Amino acid sequence: MPKYAFNADDAYLFESMLGEEDRLIMESAREYAQSRLEPRALEGNQDEVFHDAIPQEMGELGLLGATIPEAYGGGGVSYTAYGLIARELERVDSGYRSFSSVQSSLVMHPIHVFGTEEQRQRFLPRLATAELIGCFGLTEPNHGSDPGSMETTAQRVDGGWVLNGAKMWITNSPVADVAVVWAKEKGTPDEGTIRGFLVERAFDGFETPVTHNKMSLRASLTGEIVLDDCFVPDANVFPEVRGLKGPFTCLNSARYGIVWGALGAAENCYHRARRYVMERHQFGYPLGAMQLVQTKLADMITTITQMQLLAWRLGQLKDQGQAAPAMISLGKRNNCGRALEIARTARDMLGGNGITGEYRVVHHMVNLESVNTYEGTYDIHGLILGREITGLQSFVPRGNNM
Amino acid sequence: MKIAVCIKQVPDITAPLHIQNGALVFDTNRMVLNAYDASAVEAALVLLENREGSIHLFLLGPDRAKETIRKALAMGAHEATHLLVPDDAALDAYLSASLLAEQLKQHTFDILLCGKQSQDTDAGLTGTMLAEHLALPYATNAVGLTLEDDLVVATRQGDAGQEIMALETPCLVTCSNDMNNPRIPSIKGIMQSKRKPVQTISVTPDATPSTQVMGYEPLPERTPGVQWEGEPLELARRLVHHLNDEARVLS
Repeated sequence: MPKYAFNADDAYLFESMLGEEDRLIMESAREYAQSRLEPRALEGNQDEVFHDAIPQEMGELGLLGATIPEAYGGGGVSYTAYGLIARELERVDSGYRSFSSVQSSLVMHPIHVFGTEEQRQRFLPRLATAELIGCFGLTEPNHGSDPGSMETTAQRVDGGWVLNGAKMWITNSPVADVAVVWAKEKGTPDEGTIRGFLVERAFDGFETPVTHNKMSLRASLTGEIVLDDCFVPDANVFPEVRGLKGPFTCLNSARYGIVWGALGAAENCYHRARRYVMERHQFGYPLGAMQLVQTKLADMITTITQMQLLAWRLGQLKDQGQAAPAMISLGKRNNCGRALEIARTARDMLGGNGITGEYRVVHHMVNLESVNTYEGTYDIHGLILGREITGLQSFVPRGNNM
Repeated sequence: MKIAVCIKQVPDITAPLHIQNGALVFDTNRMVLNAYDASAVEAALVLLENREGSIHLFLLGPDRAKETIRKALAMGAHEATHLLVPDDAALDAYLSASLLAEQLKQHTFDILLCGKQSQDTDAGLTGTMLAEHLALPYATNAVGLTLEDDLVVATRQGDAGQEIMALETPCLVTCSNDMNNPRIPSIKGIMQSKRKPVQTISVTPDATPSTQVMGYEPLPERTPGVQWEGEPLELARRLVHHLNDEARVLS
């Protein structure tokens, strides 16, 4: 066997750098995603169907809350393994990865980090098996990139809090049994301080209308959270965490998963484009024989290799407890932006066929519009990096009389 | 009930591969659990679903094959023995079966399961040779496996029907991939697998293989078909003439 071969899926052999355990987890996730999710994804994305069995299947395999300790029903796996799972789910459809990211990073993770022992015991094992489905409410109709200006309030009453407000673009909310909701204290000495609440489906004044007419992430459910004098008992409040640190801790974890997820979507677009151009003949030759097509493929594998190495290294840093939020911003921004470009190029290479859902590339393309936007837009992560580089924040335009 | 299962690590045959200068080149160099062996592990797990017992894996292979052991342990097997050979060990089916037999003679088991063949060579020899070495009754290419009283009942698939064989224990059965759908190891299984005992024993073949692979060649290219144009009657005459006198497939 000649010693050197070029692997056109993994040019710098990054998978060979993974530990045995991480690679086995990747293989299980890949086998599940390809055998069980891929056959449903066309219908899922095209017809806006989130198949009921998917959460339970993911739970049985241990894909939900995989990094949570085994004592709480999680897997106790590395962050690298968590990223590899996200990559395999999003290789099929960003909607499936979104479901699992929300359950794992935005619901189980904050309950584990900020919850009381009683809250952990009460929620985590059932979230791990998907007996309970969770969602995360931060974004509001008037406050996206600027969550600190949220309008949802929590008024102190005897035995708990009364929540009022509305949250928007909430993945999983229409089927959620529990929502992690962030709201500002009202009528207390700490007026305006952001607190975290576990709002349960059975609570009065909790509604989750479905968001219709989405053109992206159609394989997962999105909705609103409407809180109308919704009473939340003290037992369902995160006791210690205050301010934006709470939601940002969750987002950091989810954004880290997106770094890997976007890679999976990009790899799938490249894979499909590569296969297509070798099969499709025009002017008597396969498209793959054309110079314009070859350099597109070369650009794709080059970018994908960069994305792979970035995700892999970020995973190492996260496993060593050294991943600063700005490092995650860099990865989230880069991998989402590049994945979107790759998806658009792949769509173009598939010509008219790329327009139909059957070839799946257009699904990735429109999904990635959301992925590039949610959990901090491309530009906002640019501003986070800009602040780190210069020491000067530029979120708020200053010096203008407005 | 004690079940022993022989497993092997093979190159991922679904990954791209090509032949260069008479040698195989695996583009991805990905190694996986032989799919037929995965069916054997699954069969063992199913047999033990409502029964007390344990599954002991045996793998002959180089150091990197321990990942494959871990995968089968993650599926649910209980312990493993790794017969370690150097990366470049020259083994054929006979030597493999001899080394496995030598080790298995030191263990007791009720059933010994193997995949019906391995995906890299497709030879299908090691299982039967192993049975001969161990003087065990055996059935090959089983698509079904059950226990009835003290007998192991193996179903074998034929073109027109099925053959149902009863074997006394201890016995050996080689398993088809049509037997079942091997389970995907769960994360919990993967994490627990590192706590399961794996014994590693270095082994050295005491002979050189009596068979060897001389090289690999791609399939010969098909000669392109011919296309004729003309009137139907003339074309039919020409076709009959061609089939009869040139291709000589009719006479």
